[in-house]
Parts: sequence; C-alpha cells; structure tokens
Amino acid sequence: MDRLIESAKLHSDAFEIYKLDESRNTIEFEDGKLKDIESTIHAGVALRIIKDRRAGFAYTKNVSNNEALVLNAVDTIKGGVEAPYDFPHTKSVPTLNTYDAAIEDVTNTTIVDECRRINALMTSKVNGQINIDAGTSISGIKIRNSSGANLSTRTSYYAITISILYPESATGIERSLEFKKFEEVDDSFLNNLIDLYNRSEREINTAGGRMKILFMPEAMYTLIWRLQNAVSGESLYHGQSPLAGKLNTDIFSKQLSIIDNPIDDSRPGARAFDDEGVPCKELVIVDKGTLTNYYYDLFYAAKMKAKPNGRGFKTLRWNDDRISVKPVPTLTSLSIEPGATGFEQLIGSMQRGIIVCGALGAHSGNIPNGDFSIGLSPGLYVEGGQIVGRIKDAMIAGNIYSIMNRVIDIEDSLHPAYTGYYPAVLFDDINVATKS
Amino acid sequence: MFDKLKSILEKVDAEYADIRHETKIETRIAFNGKELKEIGGNTTDGYVLRVLDRGGYSSIAFTDLDNQEKAVRTAIENAHLMSRFTEQPITFEKVDIITKEYTPDLAEDPRQISIDEKLALTNKYNDLVLSNDKIATTNINYLELVREKHFANTEGSAIREELVTNRISGLITSRDGNLIQNVRVAAGGSSGFSVLRNREAVFENKSRIATELLRAQPVQGGCYNVVLNQSLGGVFTHEAFGHFSEADIIENNRSMRDKMKLGTRMGCEKVNITDDPTMTGQLGHYRYDDEGVMARRTPLLKEGVLVGRLHSRRTAAAFGELVSGHTVAEDYRYAPIIRMGTIFIEPGDDTFEGLIDKLGSGYYLLDAKGGETSGENFTFGAQYGFVVKNGKIGEMVRDINISGNLYSTLANIIAISDDLKLSETGGCGKGQANIRSCYGTPHILINELIIGGS
Repeated sequence: MDRLIESAKLHSDAFEIYKLDESRNTIEFEDGKLKDIESTIHAGVALRIIKDRRAGFAYTKNVSNNEALVLNAVDTIKGGVEAPYDFPHTKSVPTLNTYDAAIEDVTNTTIVDECRRINALMTSKVNGQINIDAGTSISGIKIRNSSGANLSTRTSYYAITISILYPESATGIERSLEFKKFEEVDDSFLNNLIDLYNRSEREINTAGGRMKILFMPEAMYTLIWRLQNAVSGESLYHGQSPLAGKLNTDIFSKQLSIIDNPIDDSRPGARAFDDEGVPCKELVIVDKGTLTNYYYDLFYAAKMKAKPNGRGFKTLRWNDDRISVKPVPTLTSLSIEPGATGFEQLIGSMQRGIIVCGALGAHSGNIPNGDFSIGLSPGLYVEGGQIVGRIKDAMIAGNIYSIMNRVIDIEDSLHPAYTGYYPAVLFDDINVATKS
Repeated sequence: MFDKLKSILEKVDAEYADIRHETKIETRIAFNGKELKEIGGNTTDGYVLRVLDRGGYSSIAFTDLDNQEKAVRTAIENAHLMSRFTEQPITFEKVDIITKEYTPDLAEDPRQISIDEKLALTNKYNDLVLSNDKIATTNINYLELVREKHFANTEGSAIREELVTNRISGLITSRDGNLIQNVRVAAGGSSGFSVLRNREAVFENKSRIATELLRAQPVQGGCYNVVLNQSLGGVFTHEAFGHFSEADIIENNRSMRDKMKLGTRMGCEKVNITDDPTMTGQLGHYRYDDEGVMARRTPLLKEGVLVGRLHSRRTAAAFGELVSGHTVAEDYRYAPIIRMGTIFIEPGDDTFEGLIDKLGSGYYLLDAKGGETSGENFTFGAQYGFVVKNGKIGEMVRDINISGNLYSTLANIIAISDDLKLSETGGCGKGQANIRSCYGTPHILINELIIGGS
C-alpha cells in the first residue's frame, strides 16, 4: 500500500485508499437435497483523490497494478465532479468485537451436517418442503487517507435462513439467524417456525377491506426503505424528502423509536467507522415518534452544511460489489425498539387481520412519497385472535406517514431481517385488496 | 489467455472442469439533478472455475492468480462433498465442442466514442428533463458495460465472446408541495451507441408523464380487468412465467415441478411464449452462454401448452430435456445460472384499439416499475395508468401495483394485439444482476388482476 500512497500523493491534493478482501462459502439445500456449494475469494482496491476541489475515483481487482489505478483516478478528475469535502482525520475509533477466529475452522462439511440435521428434524413435523441457505464470510477492510486516518477492521459472519414451503406452492414461512461464528440452531427457534407454518397451512379466500395488519420483521423493510429514503442527506439535498424541515416534529406514533447503531457489536457486522473513515456512533432516527436525525456521508454533509455522522457506506441496493461503488448515505444497523407484548399476545389481540410474513414488490411503489403496495407472500389470516390459515391472492397498500401513526402494539423481541433487527409491529386500519 | 486457462485446467484432477476469464470494462456517468456525480471508466477481471467429479459439482470465483492452487483445491473438495450427499449423481448433458470467437455487429462501438461525447449526450437529455419546472430532480446515468469473455473446458471448447451494452437511463422525480411522484426513463441496448442518439422524445415524454402524475388520482384497490402495455406485459412474462421456465428454479420444488410438466395447458390458445437470445440487435442477444453452449431459440408455451424449458447442462441432464444455452453469469464474480435471454409473448391478431374496446371498463396500465416473484405469486408496479370506461380511455391514475398468481393469470389472458415491442434496458436480480435481460409483449388483455390501493 505504501507505493500506492506515494503515487497518489504525487497526483493529488488529497487521497483515500479503500482495500477490501473477502472470502465466502455458500451452501444451498432444497427439499432436503444439497443443491449447491459456491466459494469466492476476492480482493480489490478503490482510490478516491481530490485535486483542485474536483473528485477522481478508480478501482481495481488487480491489486498489484498501482500506477494504472492512480492514473485512472487522475483521468476521471477531468470530468469535473465536485468534491466539497475533506477526508477525515480519524485518529481513534472504538474497539469492537467483530471477528471470531473460530470461523476459520468451520468447514463446509460442518455446515452441510447442520443443514441435514435441521432438515431431518423438521421434515418429520411438517408437510411442507424445507429449504435451507447457509454460509460463512470473512472480510477485511483497510482505509488510509491523506489526513492521517489509518483504520482497519475484520469481520466474521455466519448466517442461516430456513424456509418451509406450503404444499402446491413455492411460498412459505422463512426466518434467518446470524452470528459471528458457526452456531447450531436451537430447537426452540425451529419449533416456533414449525408452529407458525402448521397453523397457517390452510389456504383461505376472504373478502378485503380495512383491517389490522401485523408486519413481521421479514416484511418490515417495506416500511423502513421509505423512511431511510426520506431521512437521507441525499434525498434532502435533492428536494425529494417529505421529511425536509421536520426535525423535532412528531412524524410517527409515540410507540415507535427507530435507531441505527453500527457500533453494537453484539450483532455480527458491527462497524466502528464507515467506508470513508468517519467514526460511527448510535444515531436515533425517530425517538418516540419524533424525528430526531438525518444521516449523511461526507459529500451530502458538506452540501447540506451538516456534520458527517458516519453513514457513508459503499453499498447500492442492487450491487454487492463494494469496491466498484463510491460511498453513499446508508443506514446499516437499524432496529425498532421492542415493545412489551409477546408475539402470541399480539395475535390474540387481532379480531380480524393479516400477518404479513413476506412482501412482494416492496421496491416498486412510490418510495419517496412513502407509498407502498405489496403482494402478501405469505399473509396469514387471523380471526378471533387465532391464525386460521393463509390468505389467497391479496395485496395491502398504504403510506408510512399514515399507517406508522396507527401503531397498536409492538412485539417484545428483535429478529434479524433484511436491513436490520425488528420486532413484529401491529398496525390498525390498512386496506386489503382480494379477489373475493 | 487460452493458454493460461488451459494451464489452470491441467491442475484440476476431475472428470470435467471449465474456466471462464472475464475482463469487465465499465464506463459510468451519473447526474443527480444538475450535478455531475460520477464520470469515468474502470477495468477489472477475474476467473470462475467449475468442477464436476464423482457425481458432485462446485464452483469458485477468484480474482488473484496467486490463489489458483487454493481455488482448484477448494472446488474439488466442495465437489466431492456434494457427491457424498447427492441422491442422483450430477452429470452434464453432452454438447458440441466449440472453438469460436464471436463479436456482435455494433452500430457505432461505444468504445470508439469519446467520454466527452457521452457526457454531452447524457447532459443534454438530463437538461431536457430538468427544463420542466415541476421536475424536482433526476438521476440520469450513462452506463457502458463491456464483457470480454474467454471460456475453456476440459472437453476442448475454447470460446471468446464480447458483450457490449450501453444505456442512458434513470429516474425522474416531480414534486408539488408534499406530493412526490417518479417515473423511470431508459434508452439503450446491445446494438451499439447509435441507439442512444436522437432519443429526445423518450426523455420529453417521461418528463411530461412525471408532471401529469402530480394531478392524477391514486388507483382504487380491488380486482379489475386490465390492458397492459408492452413494457408491463414484458415484466409480467419475465417475472410470472419466465422464472418458472428456468429449470434451476423448479428442479427441487416438488409441486412446481409437477405443475410445470411439459405438455401441461397453462393458458388459452392465443398465448405463445418464446425465449430467443439469438435475435441479433436485441438487448438480450449472445451467441454462446457462460458454459460454452450455443444459444438457441426456445419455444416455451405454444398455443397455451408448455412445450419447453430453459436449461443448463446440469439441469438438461437431470430433466432429460434439451440443453438450451441459457446459462449466464453477471460477470467474473459469479458462476453462471439459468437466465432468460429475450423472452416475449408472440404477437396476436387483435389491435390495441380492439383490446380497449374488449376491456370495456377497467384500467389501461403502462410501463414497468419493478417486479418480484415468490413461487407462483408475483407483484409488479406500473408507472402510470388510465381509467377505461365503456371502451374509452379516461383520466390518469397513479400508485399502481398489481399482484396475481401465475396459473390463474395466464389462463385469464384473453386477447393479444399485434404490436410486439421488446425492452431496450433490463435488469433481473435472480441472485446476480442481468442488465441484458430483455423482455416484451404486444398489448395484452387480462381479466381479474388484483390492484393494491388505499
């Protein structure tokens, strides 16, 4: 890296080097059959430079060709992309427990054996087909910049997702677990999944209308995406946030607090600094219904004359090649504060309603406006406080600034799901469209 | 390059192995509103090794040649692990040995166009949209992606192919007070840079629609008869039907495999669906797939009856069906999986006006806004639509998402017009992105689709 630094210094006023190495193993079981084992060993370097307040960017997977990387970044400066920020002078960051060396000893055989154990246990208790995806990853990030930051982190990760598909269908109940090392899935987790499946196996036709809707953690990203979009510095700057100018105002029910906390290392993937070397800290986005913070990367913090708050990450929704993208404002570690009610009590409180276990088409509504309109995949139908089956051919629709003011109750525990850790949340009066 | 690939293959002690090296050359220009956010190009490369041995199969992707020994060892170990737990030993369908190079004809190779000219053109379209004072912002991007692929296998195939894709596309956001609306806009393809020139009308039209949506009413949720335009019909065909024609999606799903048996009637006699990557000039065109198989036109549904399926060598052998040349990777980071090339509903004998007349009352829905499937259920968005009453197109509606079940929806396609149109840009996210996923239909009339609404 030293040679790259020397070369970058020669050609720029300021520079940032981002180095990533990553290895992954993924294992896929379908219907009790081992379908696939895939491995990846990747590395890469991304370089950002600033010259005369103009930004240059280049990346490579060929980590030995430093000169070409620098010249490529220099070449992009000619385009005239503005760089209104300086790279941060980050001297120290909190020490986090993100890596468990035990991950190095986990073989694919161990994971295959675990998948087979789970499959055998569940197959005897459900009619549905069992699918399991599991895998490990180890990644290392190093960031050095011309302001003196010299940061590194190493992350270990093991995740497993278990699905039970309904007969005559490819839709089912699904739940995930994630750890910093390999851990066996405990029986209570599997039994809860089996129980939810068995109670919802029957397919039901029912009339639509307005009713109570329980969003499971696995469907919560539908609502969270719209909030993430609205409180991003990027949306604020470009005039497409309905929450512009609404800091310290009540936007949601007082029961809702939404927090992004990358330094919580009780979960895998914690980060002490973002992908621009800015220290991370807990950021309360919504506190008891009141909007309390927006989030920024370096670029949009400078544009909005705000302080960067460690949310510049190299992520894009449809692109997992972190080396190839520049940082953008991103919330990586969201959670909704749990309530005090058990999951079964939540169901018991629903006279008539639907439990949304999976959302279809969450990305295709009018996200900036907060609107959503999703297929239920599946939606479990509740009558008289009991799950009586799964609803056939139904959609729900609404707007987060309306429905998140109609929270009835919140589950007392958090579950890992896409975009964060969430409890199930019960909302009132959401419109359901069905064929009946 | 072939010598390098062959030297790696020689290290693989297995019944079969193949290796693909790809150089990926990307050029990106991005505008966010009036601001240029990104401009420049990058070249990266990597390898994907696949091994078949003792009835087990595995793959590994790596970027650094120093890791080749480890990659070979890991792939063999994983293949052997697979073989221990596979009920039916995995085999590959026999295919021709191919030693060919293929470079598609381009109407202007974008690599020969200066970055300044690309910037000027993107800027021009972006400015055109922003000149409308109801437009709050834009995300208009130029993307050029060149994949230079070398493929070799232990059977003796050695194939070089170039895939060149370019597009100017993005999102247009309009705003009136607290109401925000957006539409997607796109021009592009894999036929060369000239497809991007003189496309002002595309951007002007979408800018106008984005502002008209500010005056449109939200759609009323319920069950309706609808006419879908070519873009939306294309997403339906891709999402709802196409994915179930991919053998790797259904191979281990008992019920889906049963429902998707060749010879099963799935739609009315008017419905014919085909996937054809061999159509030159279309976005989804390629000659050889990423396991060295020549692509072929594959009829999937003929007069409403299932007649074909998209296969890899592995699934063709497992199903006992013909290999089709549809195994494609996003780039050097991935082993190939089964993908659609250019999927479409073949033209019918009605006209668009005839379809609206047959619809009577319902909705006319236009332009895709993303879609998703889970099993036989699908949901996809429409960018805008119109109320249809007594065979007359009326006021515009917004906030439209449609949901349905593959089997009942295919059975409910009751009329097809004669105006087939294929997409210029695509994007399928089946584990990996596929920006060359091409789809289209004529206008189609479907009975009883669920539309979500407040």
